[in-house]
Amino acid sequence: MLEVLIKSAILIGGIMTAAAYFVLLERRMAAWVQDRIGPSRVGVPLSLFGFKDLRLWGLGQPAADGMKMILKEEYTPAHVDRRLYVLAPIAILAAAIATYAVIPFGSLIPSVRIGSTQSAGPIELTVAPGVDVGMIYVFALSSVAVYGVILGGWASNSKYSFLGGLRSSAQLIAYELPMGLGILGVVVAAGSLNLNTIIQQQVQSGWFVLVQPLGFVVFLIAAFAEAARLPFDLPECEQELIGGYHTEYSSMKLLLFLVAEFMHMITASFLIVILFFGGWHFPFITGRDPAEVTWATAILRVLVLHGKIFLVIVFFMWVRWSWPRFRFDQLMNLAWKIMLPLGLVNFVAIAVLEEFRHVYGPLGGSFAWTMGIIVAGWLLFVAAWLVTSLANPLVTDNRPRRDLAPLEVDSRI
Amino acid sequence: MKPDDPNIKWIPEPELGLAGKLYLPLVAQGLTTTWKHLTRSLSGDVVTVSYPDEEPKIANPLIYRGVHRLNKDEQGRVKCVACFLCSTACPAHCIDIIASESPWPDREKYPQSFNIDELRCIYCGMCEEACPVDAIELTSLYNLTGRSREEMIFDKEKLLSVYDATKDKEPMQSPALGGTAT
Repeated sequence: MLEVLIKSAILIGGIMTAAAYFVLLERRMAAWVQDRIGPSRVGVPLSLFGFKDLRLWGLGQPAADGMKMILKEEYTPAHVDRRLYVLAPIAILAAAIATYAVIPFGSLIPSVRIGSTQSAGPIELTVAPGVDVGMIYVFALSSVAVYGVILGGWASNSKYSFLGGLRSSAQLIAYELPMGLGILGVVVAAGSLNLNTIIQQQVQSGWFVLVQPLGFVVFLIAAFAEAARLPFDLPECEQELIGGYHTEYSSMKLLLFLVAEFMHMITASFLIVILFFGGWHFPFITGRDPAEVTWATAILRVLVLHGKIFLVIVFFMWVRWSWPRFRFDQLMNLAWKIMLPLGLVNFVAIAVLEEFRHVYGPLGGSFAWTMGIIVAGWLLFVAAWLVTSLANPLVTDNRPRRDLAPLEVDSRI
Repeated sequence: MKPDDPNIKWIPEPELGLAGKLYLPLVAQGLTTTWKHLTRSLSGDVVTVSYPDEEPKIANPLIYRGVHRLNKDEQGRVKCVACFLCSTACPAHCIDIIASESPWPDREKYPQSFNIDELRCIYCGMCEEACPVDAIELTSLYNLTGRSREEMIFDKEKLLSVYDATKDKEPMQSPALGGTAT
């Protein structure tokens, strides 16, 4: 019990702080990409005591942002559905935090002793270890998070919010499928839905990004869409919807939405790293047997895992300024006409390859077989990508049909 | 306008090239562009000017339109001949001149008082254009502040002191810049 409480305290504290500092990183990266400096001044206000201010490269900015959000006027418009309006940010944040129950944030640490209590054995760095349906749990909760968005959009009783909520529901339903298909390949290859088992499988057979590049690309794009990050941030695009589903929110309720959004991104990064980049595993330095752990390897594994996650998040932020946003029909076309077929192809191919290996391959695997499967995966990726791109199902002509006679209504305009 | 209107010129959408169809080359292109800017900013090459800590660099102080000054001639007298051309040209009516008989033989009038309301001024530079003797000029002083409205009405002494403060940095405008100073 105590163990779980300590782990959740560390995790929630860590994730919340990380989300705050990732906001700062996001702002600074935005500034750097646009040849600016970004928020670099808020530090320790020593000038209150008559000294020179410490700037600390703007590391005080999250505290200032948080204070600003708390002290802002909490305005609830008169036209909202008050109960749902209050429920929406709570629902979205609760779902975002609850996801982390099954996500490992490290490997194991050796048995520890607090006072007279000695832990039973090595402690797994997962709040709820050994959940065998971990992936399904994560999926279920990420779908619950959509409720927060839709409720927020609906309860706000405003056109922009409603459009944001509608777009969000359509987009998230569309991208759950390719995301699930991207994961199915991993699950088939690892033989388990438990995230820790998936990492251990990758320690043995190599990272899944090497074996299943197609599944990785499908999952990556779907993860961007699920986290509603550019180029798929249609539910909240500032230019069209003035913030989308949280247009009518202010103060702490808005902050809850924004934090939840960042936590979705962090969750997506965790999943990308755990499912495709081997979690805490790094060749030669982190050891191969998860149970064989000293304090040094335990800390090293935590650092490796979080270093990888940091890099993925930097990639998320880098992408944000690199590509323009998709139009909504393009978004839907991409989901249904490209991602879904690619995901299916990946799933079928991985299933066939795995079955082939089980039936004909040597027990325990061999180098030649591993290499063969990697090559097959990459050939599949190149072939599938070429076919879908050259068939080009994304091109649509949205202009009015000129070969049809204008409708009666149309001619009267 | 209806889609079959003859005035509409329909242009077919250009076909995507191979790079566009494969998508990945363009993805890489976008990432490269932002990466270049990112690394350049990280090496310190940014466009931001951290203003109170560092002064902005004014490209050409001679044509910048900041605080006014009243120029002096070689004998230290005010160059202005109180012709009222500047206050006539001023679209904001911020120049207030009181002329009187000149004590010097080379001109008829001189400004007894010369007030510019720096808060009314829109810094358009019309006074500078209008002046026939290059007496009034706009300097490159951009950070003009004051604690009261009265303080921001610059009288003749203050405008002449602006000249003393800026004459070394910004010589009187040359004929090349459209000035008539010799």
